[in-house]
Amino acid sequence: MGEPGAWWTLLAAPAMLLALAVLAVAFTAVLDARDAGRPVTVAVAVRPFTGVPRAVLAQPRRLPGADVLLWRAGAVLVPVAAVLSTLVIPFGDTVLADLSVGVVWFNAMEVLTWAGLWLAGWGPDAAFSLVGGYRFLAQGLAYELPLMFALISTATGAQSLRVTDIAAAQHGLWYAVWMPVAFVVYLAGVLAFSFTGPFGYPAGRDLAGGVLGEIGGVDRLLLQAGRWLWLAAGAAMAAPLFLGGGAGPVLPDWAWSLVKTLLVLAVLVLAARRLPMIRADRYVELAWVVLIPLTIVQVLVPALVNLNR
Amino acid sequence: MDVTGLALRAAAARPRVLLAALPGGTAARLEAGRLLRLRDWPSAATPAQADLLLVVGPDCPRLHGALDRLWRDLPAPRARVHAADAGAVGARLDEGRALLRSSAGQREQAGTAAAAARDADRKQPETSAGADGSGDEEDPGSRHPHGGGHHGGHSGGGMDMDMGMEMPGGLPMAEQGEDRDGLTLDRLHVPLGPFLADWPAGLTIRVTLQGDVVQEAELREAAPPGHAGGAFWVQPWLRAAAGEPVTAGEAARRRAAAHLDSLARLLAVAGWPAEAVAARRLRDDLLDGAPGTAVALRLDRFARRVGRSRALAWLTRGIGRLSTAQARQAGVSGPAARAGGDVADRYRQWLADIRRDLGRLAEGSPLAPAADEGPRGYWRDDRPPSAALMKVLPELLTGAELAAARLIVASLDPDLDELAAARREAGAHG
Repeated sequence: MGEPGAWWTLLAAPAMLLALAVLAVAFTAVLDARDAGRPVTVAVAVRPFTGVPRAVLAQPRRLPGADVLLWRAGAVLVPVAAVLSTLVIPFGDTVLADLSVGVVWFNAMEVLTWAGLWLAGWGPDAAFSLVGGYRFLAQGLAYELPLMFALISTATGAQSLRVTDIAAAQHGLWYAVWMPVAFVVYLAGVLAFSFTGPFGYPAGRDLAGGVLGEIGGVDRLLLQAGRWLWLAAGAAMAAPLFLGGGAGPVLPDWAWSLVKTLLVLAVLVLAARRLPMIRADRYVELAWVVLIPLTIVQVLVPALVNLNR
Repeated sequence: MDVTGLALRAAAARPRVLLAALPGGTAARLEAGRLLRLRDWPSAATPAQADLLLVVGPDCPRLHGALDRLWRDLPAPRARVHAADAGAVGARLDEGRALLRSSAGQREQAGTAAAAARDADRKQPETSAGADGSGDEEDPGSRHPHGGGHHGGHSGGGMDMDMGMEMPGGLPMAEQGEDRDGLTLDRLHVPLGPFLADWPAGLTIRVTLQGDVVQEAELREAAPPGHAGGAFWVQPWLRAAAGEPVTAGEAARRRAAAHLDSLARLLAVAGWPAEAVAARRLRDDLLDGAPGTAVALRLDRFARRVGRSRALAWLTRGIGRLSTAQARQAGVSGPAARAGGDVADRYRQWLADIRRDLGRLAEGSPLAPAADEGPRGYWRDDRPPSAALMKVLPELLTGAELAAARLIVASLDPDLDELAAARREAGAHG
């Protein structure tokens, strides 16, 4: 069991999530500059953030036939769900709300992005945006079940849905080591629910940006922030689920949590660049024929181990 | 606090550029792409994401309407500049940035934009060009899934019921039709092009979508006849045909760069931006006259990563199959015919051709235009190879999903400048 957070953790958790997302954006900008043959300086890492005041002060977009209410609701839902997911993610020993169903809470928040992206695609009444919206549903159909089984593997191993119990149950042998399939599927799931890199299908360049194609101003900023916030939240959740949480030698718990989260985040950002966009029509086949059976077998492993204890 | 000033400075610090390439503007497009890459000005895919509209290429009155709609969809603060040729691009970019930064310029624009909007309102309900950068003159309502504007021939009784209802934005509802599984689904008429990101300049394909499956694809007469731009990619061949001395090495360099340009587009459409940037860098270095040894190492790494990528092959396998026999019958020559297969076979053929050409950069023998194929194939009886590529497009696109359709177009990458050059030659002879 982790300690319940003091009142200030209510502010600290979103702030830390935002800081992680900012780091991921800056790291991506540096990698972009290196690939494009531009000199890599500190300014390179800061430049993407000039878009923030620009977006906040932009002229609002008026489109004929747009469903503004649902459109805006979708854009807001994605980052809000990402922030709410941090409620159950322990940082070191501290956790905002140590729910007995923490894993389910995280999963539920992640599923909210389905609604968010679909509404964001529907809102502007534009063909490419709409296609982008239902592309995410097709993608969700592919990634969600394997991801759920990956999450269940860890819960089965710890015989608890409480995230701090899962972190504590690893006793030095990380779940990433003896549940490698679940770990890899979980990481792919993180890229998928943050619709980034190989899972950027709903916002594909072939759709001229898909769900991001028509949206402008603050709404666009929120939706894009949601993308990075989810990437950060997914990385932060990987530490307690698969990497033993805050456990580690010498350093204090919170430092180990931070180190593990940053490493996972870096791996995710690097991996996202090494693969082309995976279309859902191909991924569904892989997910249902290969990944779901594999992850079910993976769930069986901790189940059998626990039965023999 | 000067809020407006802050917004303007923020927009000008790193303007996001919507690049609209006109037919014949290939050289200017390449220069613009190179400058944007070096300056770190991101390239926007739609007006909603952009601050600066950069039009490149010789003026084309036929596309004015489409350009105006792109411009109308750009949120303020915004700026619009036009670079007719490659030499002017740098200066125009600076000019655009200055326009973005100056509040006087923005106010002036806001005034004219408001007046234009009032005019438009008076004429008809607002219809804007696609955020997808699409829309051609004939069909201003292209942005809307619920209003293709193409209801000709459709007067089913089912529509009567809708008449009494208030339509969103005053747009007509989509018509319906049977899809490939026999279900009745909405049919949306969406034009692809002429200003879609990573799309052949000047090409417009009208597609009828059900869900995201292309039911019908119809090519629009694309390039305007005989514009002044000249066909950049086939210049060495045209010059050699006109009797000028051109070395085989120069042609090989141009051909390799053309394939890298096509590959960059394909990789962008396939959603692999990191490798698309690598291809563009190699292309720019080759066009800049870099010796083969200077780029060999990077090209090797690029060709290995892309050519041996199992993920990319898995994602492009079985899409847009065009056998060698079919291709030859349609008059297709060049890499598309030699590859004789799907999208994966075609990009691998490009990679193989680039490697071969890299060894030929220093060849000093004169170019024989009839024996040494151009980037897209041979010219036969004044018929450019791209004409044949365009001929096979509609059939390949029918039944494909939208993402696959984009991959098919990118993997054939017809160059419409060739058509214009051919027409001009024919005009000169006749």
